[in-house]
Amino acid sequence: MKQKLLNNTEAIAIGFMAVLALVTGGWNTIVCAVIAGLLIGLSANQNRDGIIRAGVLGAIASIITAIMGYIFNSWVSTLPGVDNQAPDHLTAYPLILAVVIGTITSLVVAWIHSIHEEARRKQAFLIFMVVCAVIFPFFDQCPTLAWNGPISIANPTVGCTTSKALLWVNAVIVTMIFALQALGLNIVAGYAGLLDLGYVAFFAIGAYTMGFLNSDHLVAQDTFLKTQFGFWLVVWGSAAAAAFFGLLLGAPTLPLRGDYLAIVTLGFGEIIPIAAKNLAEVRIFEPISLFINQLFSKADAQSLDRMQNAEAFLKNTLCLIGCDPTRPFDFTAGTKGISPISPPVFGNILGIPKIYAFVNGDYIPWYFLALVLLAGSAFFIFRLRDSRVGRAWVSMREDELAANAMGIDIVRTKLLAFIIGAMFSGFAGAFYASYVSFIEPGSFAFDISVTVLAMVILGGTGNITGVILGAFITRVVDLVVLERLKQLINGITEKVFFSGIDNPALVQFVQSIADATAYKVMLFGLILVVMMKVRPQGLIPAETAAQKRKA
Amino acid sequence: MAQEVLLEAKGVTKRFGGLTAVNKVDFVIYKGMIAGLIGPNGAGKTTFFNNMTGLYTPTEGDFIFNGKPITGLKPHIIQDRGISRTFQNIRLFGQLSALENVLVGMHTRLNGTVFEAFFRPKRVIHEEKRAREKALDLLDFVGLGRDSAEMAARNLPYGFQRRLEIARALASDPKLLLLDEPTAGMNPQEKKELTELVDHLRKELGVTVLLIEHDMKVVMGISDRVSVLDHGEKIAEGLPKVVQANPKVIEAYLGTGAAAEGA
Repeated sequence: MKQKLLNNTEAIAIGFMAVLALVTGGWNTIVCAVIAGLLIGLSANQNRDGIIRAGVLGAIASIITAIMGYIFNSWVSTLPGVDNQAPDHLTAYPLILAVVIGTITSLVVAWIHSIHEEARRKQAFLIFMVVCAVIFPFFDQCPTLAWNGPISIANPTVGCTTSKALLWVNAVIVTMIFALQALGLNIVAGYAGLLDLGYVAFFAIGAYTMGFLNSDHLVAQDTFLKTQFGFWLVVWGSAAAAAFFGLLLGAPTLPLRGDYLAIVTLGFGEIIPIAAKNLAEVRIFEPISLFINQLFSKADAQSLDRMQNAEAFLKNTLCLIGCDPTRPFDFTAGTKGISPISPPVFGNILGIPKIYAFVNGDYIPWYFLALVLLAGSAFFIFRLRDSRVGRAWVSMREDELAANAMGIDIVRTKLLAFIIGAMFSGFAGAFYASYVSFIEPGSFAFDISVTVLAMVILGGTGNITGVILGAFITRVVDLVVLERLKQLINGITEKVFFSGIDNPALVQFVQSIADATAYKVMLFGLILVVMMKVRPQGLIPAETAAQKRKA
Repeated sequence: MAQEVLLEAKGVTKRFGGLTAVNKVDFVIYKGMIAGLIGPNGAGKTTFFNNMTGLYTPTEGDFIFNGKPITGLKPHIIQDRGISRTFQNIRLFGQLSALENVLVGMHTRLNGTVFEAFFRPKRVIHEEKRAREKALDLLDFVGLGRDSAEMAARNLPYGFQRRLEIARALASDPKLLLLDEPTAGMNPQEKKELTELVDHLRKELGVTVLLIEHDMKVVMGISDRVSVLDHGEKIAEGLPKVVQANPKVIEAYLGTGAAAEGA
C-alpha cells in the first residue's frame, strides 16, 4: 500500500474536488481545496511520515483544484448561460490562496490525526471543525472583502453582486436545516429503530406554528392573536407543537410493530400537508349558527330572544379564531402560502430597544444562527445517547424482547424517542419557515421524509457525525453541484458542439436530456443502492466501543 | 424447611390453542435456595419461565412473588419487582459494549431523565459513575474482566456472552435470578466453571436462583431442590438424588424401555 503514490481514498478525494472546482469555479476553488486537504489529512497515516506526505499531497491536490478554478475562470465562465463571477475574480490571487490554504488544511488535519491520545485528538478535531465553520461563510462570498488583490476591507463591494457571489452559504444553511431534521430522525430511526416514513409532518407542524404565530397572517384576520410573538418564543412553541403531535400520533401507534408503524407514519406525513392545503376556508361559526337557528325554529318571542342570546354567547366564546360572518376563516392560507414570516429580532421586547434584526437574504447571521442551533442539537443528542435514556433506546433497537425483560418500558421509551425526534423536526421547521419567510403545503412533500431518511442511512445510522455528513453530501450535491453542472453542460453544448449549427430546437433538446438536475432522484437512488450493497452501515457507522479502542 | 417463601406458582396453566404447554404446575421457591427445573426438550420449561417473567400471561393460575401476585404484569414491571432472567438463546444487545449491556440491566435502578441527560446535574454524574463502577465489578464477578468491558457484546466469545447475560441480569440486584439453560452449548470444562459461578452467586450475593437445565449433571451438582417437568406437567420434585432415582423421571428422559430395564 505504501508503495502506491496515492491510495484509493486520496485519489477519489482529489478527483472529486477537481471536478467540484471545475464546476463551481471562482472563489469556491478555495472551499474545494480545503475539503480536498481535509480528506487527504484524514486518510494520512498516524506518524510523522504521514504528515509530510499529506502536506505534499495536499499541495498537489490544491494546485489541481486551483488549475481547475483557473480553467473555470478563464474559459468556462465565458460560456453562455454560466453564472459569471465578476471579472475581479480572474486574478491569480485566489488561486494562490487556494493552494496555500489547501496545503495548510491537509497538514493540520494530518497532524490532528497523528495525536495518539484519543480524547485530545477528538478535541483538536472539534476545534478545527469549529474554526472551519466560522471562517467558511467569509470565504464563500465577498460583501466585506475585495478579492482582486491583497485583502482590502476598505473597498468592500467590488465585483460582488450578492446573489452570484454566494454560491454555498444559502445551500449550507438549508443543509443545516436538513441536518437538524436528520439528527432528530436519527433518534427515532437510528437509536430506537422505529421506521418513520412521515417525518416531514413534524417539520410542517413546526413551520406552520411559526407561520401562524410569527406572521401577519392570523393577526390581519380578526382573531385572538393580536400581535406576533417573535421568533425566539415561537421556536419553542413549534418544538412543543411538534412534540405534542408526536405524542398524539405515537401513543396509539407505537405499540404496533415495525411495518404497521411505517404505514401509519407514512399516512400522517401525507395528511398534514393536505390539511394545510385544505384549511384555507374554515367555517366554524356558520354551521353552529345554523344549528341554533334550527333548534329554536319555533319563532315565539321568548325563544327568539333565547336564540339571540345563545348566538351572542357562542360568538364570543367560539370565535377565538375569528368569525367574520361575511367570509370564511383562512387558517393555513392553502396553496397561497403564508408569507412573509418575520425573521428573528434581538431585543425589541420588554422595553428593551431593538438591537439587531435578521434580514431575509442577508445570509451570514442566518448561517451562524443555524450553526448554533445545529451544534447545540448535536451536543444535546450526543449527551442523550450517552445516558440512561439513550442506552434504553439502543437496547430496544437491538432486541426489544430482551430490553423489556431488562426492565425497559417499551411503549414509554419508544414514545419518548418519537416525541424528542418530532421536537427536533419542529425546531428545524420553525427555523426554515423564518428563514425562507414563506411556507406552503408543497414545501412539505413526501420526498423530504425520504431525503432525510436517506441522509441518516447514507451517513451512518446512529452516528451523529455520520448523519451530519450524510446531510451535507446529499444537500450540497443537490443544491450546488448539480445546478452548476447543468449550467456547465449547457454552456459547453451550446458553445462547443453547436457553435456553427443554427438549430435552437436541437440545442434545447440535447440540453434537456443532459440536464443534471433532472437526474437528481436517480443519482440519489443509485447512491442508496450502492451504499446498501457496499457499506450498509453507512459512511461513518455507529462506533462500537471496540472500534473506538482500536483507533 | 422453615424458610421464607420467595415465589409461589399455583396451578399455572398455559394453553396455546389446543396445545397445553404447561399444565397445572405448582411450584415453590424458598429464599436463598438454588432451585432446579429440568425436563426433556419441549417439556414446557421455558414456557413456564416466560409465564413467570410476564412474556406470556398464564391461561390459569397465579404467580405470587414476595407475597404479592405478579400474574399478568408487564415484563418490565416484574423485572422491577426483582425477578431477572437470562435467555436460552443468548439475547444480548450486540452493538452495545459489554459495560453498556450491564448498564441497561440497571435501567430500573437508575433515575436519569431526558433533561438530566442534557444538563447533567451532580446527582446524575454521581449516579452514572457509581453505576459504571458497579457494572465493572459485576463484569469482574462473572469472570469477564475489565478488558472486555469496552468490547461490543457480539464480538465476545460464546462463553463470555453467557456470562455477560448473567451479569446483565444481576445488575438490577434481583431477589430471584432465572437462568434459562446457562450451560447450553458448552464443553464439560466450561460447564463446570459456570456451575461454580452459579454457586458463587448464591454464596456471595445471596441471590435466589431458579435454574432451567437440560443437562442433569449440572443441576444435580448445585441444586437444593429439583422439579421435573414432562409434557407440561410436574412429574417429580424433591432432593436431587431422590428425583434422579425416580422411575418416572428416568422414563421421561430415556423412554419407557429404559425405565423398564432399570427397574
